[in-house]
Amino acid sequence: MVEQNQQQSLLGRAFVYSALVLGAVYFLIPLFVMLITSVKTLDDIRTGSLISWPDQITFEAWSAAWTSACIGVDCGGLKGYFWNSISMVVPAVAISTLIGAFNGYVLTKWRFRGSDIFFAMLLIGCFIPFQVVLLPMARTLGFLGLAGTIPGLILVHVIYGLAFTTLFFRNFYVSVPDELVKAARIDGAGFFTIFFRILLPISGPIIVVSVIWQFTQIWNDFLFGVVYSAGDKQPITVALNNLVNTSTGVKQYNVDMAAAIIAALPTLLVYFVAGKYFVRGLTAGSVKG
Amino acid sequence: MSGLKIDNIQKRFGDVHVLKGIDIEIDEGDFLILVGPSGCGKSTLLHMIAGLESVTSGTISIGQRDVTHLNPKDRDIAMVFQSYALYPNMTVRQNISFGLSIRKVPESEQEEIVQRVAEMLQIGPLLDRKPSQLSGGQRQRVAMGRALARKPSIFLFDEPLSNLDAKLRVEMRTEIKELHNRLGTTMVYVTHDQIEAMTLGQRIAIMKDGVIQQFGSPQEIYDEPVNQFVAGFIGSPSMNFIPCPVVKQDNQLSIELDNETGKFYLPIDGKNAELESWVGKTIILGLRPEKITHDIASHADNQGIHRANCRVGIVEPTGPDTLVFIELNNTKTVCRVDPSEAKNTGENIDLMFDLTKAVFFEPETGERVC
Ligand SMILES: Nc1ncnc2c1ncn2[C@@H]1O[C@H](COP(=O)(O)OP(=O)(O)O)[C@@H](O)[C@H]1O
Ligand SMILES: [Mg+2]
Repeated sequence: MVEQNQQQSLLGRAFVYSALVLGAVYFLIPLFVMLITSVKTLDDIRTGSLISWPDQITFEAWSAAWTSACIGVDCGGLKGYFWNSISMVVPAVAISTLIGAFNGYVLTKWRFRGSDIFFAMLLIGCFIPFQVVLLPMARTLGFLGLAGTIPGLILVHVIYGLAFTTLFFRNFYVSVPDELVKAARIDGAGFFTIFFRILLPISGPIIVVSVIWQFTQIWNDFLFGVVYSAGDKQPITVALNNLVNTSTGVKQYNVDMAAAIIAALPTLLVYFVAGKYFVRGLTAGSVKG
Repeated sequence: MSGLKIDNIQKRFGDVHVLKGIDIEIDEGDFLILVGPSGCGKSTLLHMIAGLESVTSGTISIGQRDVTHLNPKDRDIAMVFQSYALYPNMTVRQNISFGLSIRKVPESEQEEIVQRVAEMLQIGPLLDRKPSQLSGGQRQRVAMGRALARKPSIFLFDEPLSNLDAKLRVEMRTEIKELHNRLGTTMVYVTHDQIEAMTLGQRIAIMKDGVIQQFGSPQEIYDEPVNQFVAGFIGSPSMNFIPCPVVKQDNQLSIELDNETGKFYLPIDGKNAELESWVGKTIILGLRPEKITHDIASHADNQGIHRANCRVGIVEPTGPDTLVFIELNNTKTVCRVDPSEAKNTGENIDLMFDLTKAVFFEPETGERVC
C-alpha cells in the first residue's frame, strides 16, 4: 500500500515537473533566440538557422543599438531615448505611488460622506481603455502647454496610474487597525504627521508592489508615448519601434534584437531585484502588533 | 470637584441610535467603569469622551472644562486601546515618547519620562525592541506606558485586558488598581467583564442598548439591582430568577416553591407592604447562589432564614465552594454549598434559604418590585 502510494506520488511529481519544464522552455526560447541573435554577426545570421549557436560572439550589435543605430534620420542609437524613459518613469512612478498612498490613507482612515462612491469611481478608472482618453488628454496637454514634452507624459502616466496605486494602498490600509490612527490622534499627531510617521513607514510591502506595477506599466507603454511625445523626447518603446522600422540598407536583426533586450532590461531587473517582495506585498495581511 | 460630567449624550450613526441619552458624573480621582454586553455602546461613549467620535447632542466636561467640541489632543487625556495600537515601525522607547515629541517636550525631559515610565511598569529592558518582538503581556504594558508618559487629567481604557490570558489578566487588573491608587487620576475603564467591573470600579455604569441601566457603587449594584438585567449581569454564577406564586400561608405572606421532594413555602418578612397586592399572582424571585447554602446551624436563628429539603441535580465543584443545582418551580437554581456538605446527584440535601437580600421583579418588564 505504502509503496504504491509512493510510486503514485512519484509519478505525479514527474508529471508536474515535466509540465513546468515544458512551460518554462516555451517562454524562454524566444528570449534565447533574441540573446544569441544579438551576439551574432549579420553573416552568421544569414547562413545559420534561428537557433544555431553563433560562430563567434560579438557585442557590436549591442553597442550599435546603444550609440549608433539609426532611428528615423537621427543615427544616435537608443541612448538618448533610454534616458528619456528613465526621466519619465522615475518621477511618474514616485508621484503616482505617493499620491496613491495618500488617497488610500484618506479613503480608509478619514472616510468622508461619499468616500465609497469616490472609491468605486476610481476603480472604474482601472478599466478605462487607453484609447478612450487619448483625445481628451491631448487637448488637456495642449491647454496646459505640455504637449510633446516629458512632463506631459509624466502627467498622463500619473493620472492613469492613480486608479491602480490608490486601489493597492486602499486595500493595504484597510487591514491596518483604525486604533493606530486613533492612538496617534490622542498623542497629538495631525493628518500629515500620521500619514508620514505612522502609515507610510509600515507600507513597505505595498510600496514595492506599487513601484513594480507602475514601473513596468509606464516603461512598457507605447501608445501614450507615441501619441503625446515627439522627436527626441520620445520614450524608448517608441524609439525601438522606429529603429526596427527604419529601412536603410539591409535589415540588421542583431541590432534589432539587442535594442529590444536593452528596452526590456530595466523591467527585467526590477522583477529580479524586487520580485519576491512583489508576491509578499500582494499577500501581505494586516500589520501585526 | 467634578472629574468628568457627561450630560444627556446622544449618538446616532445615520439611522442607528447607539446612545440614547447618557448622564454620568464622577468626582476627580474616581475610577469609573462602563460595563455591558458587546455592542451596547461602551466604546462609542469612551471614544466620544476622547474626542475620537463626534457627539450628536449633549455635552461632555472634563474637570469642569467643556470639551464637547475639542480635538482629542486638546482634551488632556490618555488612552489605552484594546488592540494596544502600538506603532509597529517604532521601538518601545519611541512609542512612549511619540506624543511627547509631537508636543515639543525637550529631548532630555523625554528621556527622563521614558525612564520613569519604564521603571514604573518594569519594561526597562524592552525599550529598544519593536512591538513585534514583544509578547502580548509586554505589549499591554507598553500601551499603558504610552498613556502614562503624559500626566493627563483623565485616563481612558477600552477593554485593555481582554486580549490577555486569564492569569495575566488578573495580575494586570491588580496592577491597574495599584496604579490608580498611586496616581489618583480620574480613570474611565470599559469592559464587558463583570468581574473586572466589580473589582476595579468605584463607580459602575451598567449599559444596555445605549441606555444606562444603573449607576452606582459595586456593592449598591450587587445588592440593589434596579432590574433583572443588572441583577443577572453582575455576579458569577448569576443570580437565580425563580418565578413564584405569592400566597397567604398561615396568614403569612409567602412564596410557593416546588421541588421534586414536594412543595414548600418561604415566608417573606419585611416586604409585606409592597407584595400584598401580588397575592395570587406570580412574581420573579431573585436570589443569589450564596444565599442558598447547606444547613449552617449558627445561622438558624437569624431573621429571614428558612430550611428546605431538596433533590440534588448536577454538582459542580469549584474548590472553595461546590455549586449544587436544584429544580425550583421548574427553574434550574444554583446553590453555593460547602464542599464537605455537598451531596451527590439524585440525593436529597438540607438547604438554608436566606431571604434577607432577596429581590423581586415584574415578570413582564423585569423591573424591580422590591
Ligand atoms: N462607525 C460606526 N458606524 C455605524 N455603527 C457603528 C459605528 N461604530 C459603532 N457602531 C454601532 O454602535 C453600536 C455600539 O458599538 P460599540 O460602542 O463598539 O459597542 P461596545 O464597545 O459596547 O461593544 C454597535 O451596534 C455598532 O454596530
Ligand atoms: Mg467595544
